[in-house]
Amino acid sequence: MALLEVRDLHKSFGDTVVLDGVSMSVEKGDVIAVLGPSGGGKTTLLRCINFLETADSGSLVFDGITHDMAHISKKQISEIRLHTGFVFQNYNLFRNKTALQNVTEGLLIARHMDKAEAEEKGMRMLEKVGMADRASHYPSQLSGGQQQRVAIARALAADPEIIYFDEPTSALDPELIGEVLTVMRQLADEGMTMIVVTHEMDFARNVSSRTIFMEHGKIVEEGESKAFFESPREERTREFLRLEDRRF
Amino acid sequence: MTAQDIIRLLIDSFWKILLPGLTVTIPLTVIAFSIAMVIAIITAMVQYANIPVLKQIARFYIWVIRGTPLLVQLYVVFFGLPSIGIKVAAFPSAVAVFAVNEGAYCAETMRAAIESVPSGQMEAGYCVGMNYLQIMRRIVLPQAFRTAFPPLFNSLIGMVKDTSLAANITVAEMFFVTQRISGRTYQFMALYLELALIYLIFSTVLTRVQAFGEKKLNSYGGNKI
Repeated sequence: MALLEVRDLHKSFGDTVVLDGVSMSVEKGDVIAVLGPSGGGKTTLLRCINFLETADSGSLVFDGITHDMAHISKKQISEIRLHTGFVFQNYNLFRNKTALQNVTEGLLIARHMDKAEAEEKGMRMLEKVGMADRASHYPSQLSGGQQQRVAIARALAADPEIIYFDEPTSALDPELIGEVLTVMRQLADEGMTMIVVTHEMDFARNVSSRTIFMEHGKIVEEGESKAFFESPREERTREFLRLEDRRF
Repeated sequence: MTAQDIIRLLIDSFWKILLPGLTVTIPLTVIAFSIAMVIAIITAMVQYANIPVLKQIARFYIWVIRGTPLLVQLYVVFFGLPSIGIKVAAFPSAVAVFAVNEGAYCAETMRAAIESVPSGQMEAGYCVGMNYLQIMRRIVLPQAFRTAFPPLFNSLIGMVKDTSLAANITVAEMFFVTQRISGRTYQFMALYLELALIYLIFSTVLTRVQAFGEKKLNSYGGNKI
């Protein structure tokens, strides 16, 4: 049974159709890369799945329970969010909290874990992303790459069943991208289920198990990453991959 | 009066003016400003959260209070209300008017500060499982308060000086006492300058407190990313 399934998701902003009937299915342990040109709906897809945007229509099956995405209750949303993690393009670390407090905040407040236990867990998560020595630093004292690694630790702390990454390296200087991708690769190797909206072709090609190509609010092509890159079926996909290759 | 007499008068009157400053002006300011802050935070949050009806009430309240003079508001409460059977003593009247008046201005300061916190902070809070009020209390309001701190101190310093208007409704604060002493001695210039100096001392202390407070609040690098 799929861990997560999206069925016929539609979303418009005013007259602009952003998602035009997207369906996808995610198995436990999948690492799915979502590629596509800007404005293709990739980010909106992730934001709808985690209810940061309300879909116009569509359904989400999570852990075997089907939800109507346009009419889901706040209670159901919080229930789902307790099992998911989200990593933002701009990190969105809590600016008034230290790195460690960023990781423990959700554990303490949303999950009512006791302080010692939360801090012990928070430190373990920071160690995992190589940020334990910066535990008491505020976000303003960290580089972009460091902030994003703390953000990943924060997402991990809740033992999520799946983590959504929304262009996690797009706001980073080129020399800082590597440290974040290394952490993500390590998570993938450990079997974490992930959906990664990205422009990092190497990550999609070498780390993700499946790749989805989206444009104009629709999934143009999806498949095993190896096959997707070696022999894309759609002409549009081939064109996109050619253009991406030429960028480097 | 000789210069010596004037100096003696100023020394004598200094304590006579400062005393109501400590026992009336400061309590009036502290109590009224504390209530104003509660009003401001609630009024700002109601607007930010876009709660129907309450939001309209908040806008109406700000419109009326900001659109009418403070002195008139004092007169309406102290001289006006008794004519419809509501009698309130001078000091509580002043507290109520200053709190409600300042609340309207500070509400706008707080609203602007809350709106200046990037929406990503709220979204990140949701994504770690927190609810709206938890995120407000622990993430958004602390950051908004950092931004609002200097303008709120502006309001506080302004209010210390505005309390002199309470003399008009018989509150025996510093201005009221100075008026009486000068009426008796006819040393208007010397006494009102002395009063101005005492207000300046109060404001200077507050300015120092503000600088200290900002330093404390900056411990996390302000609201820089």
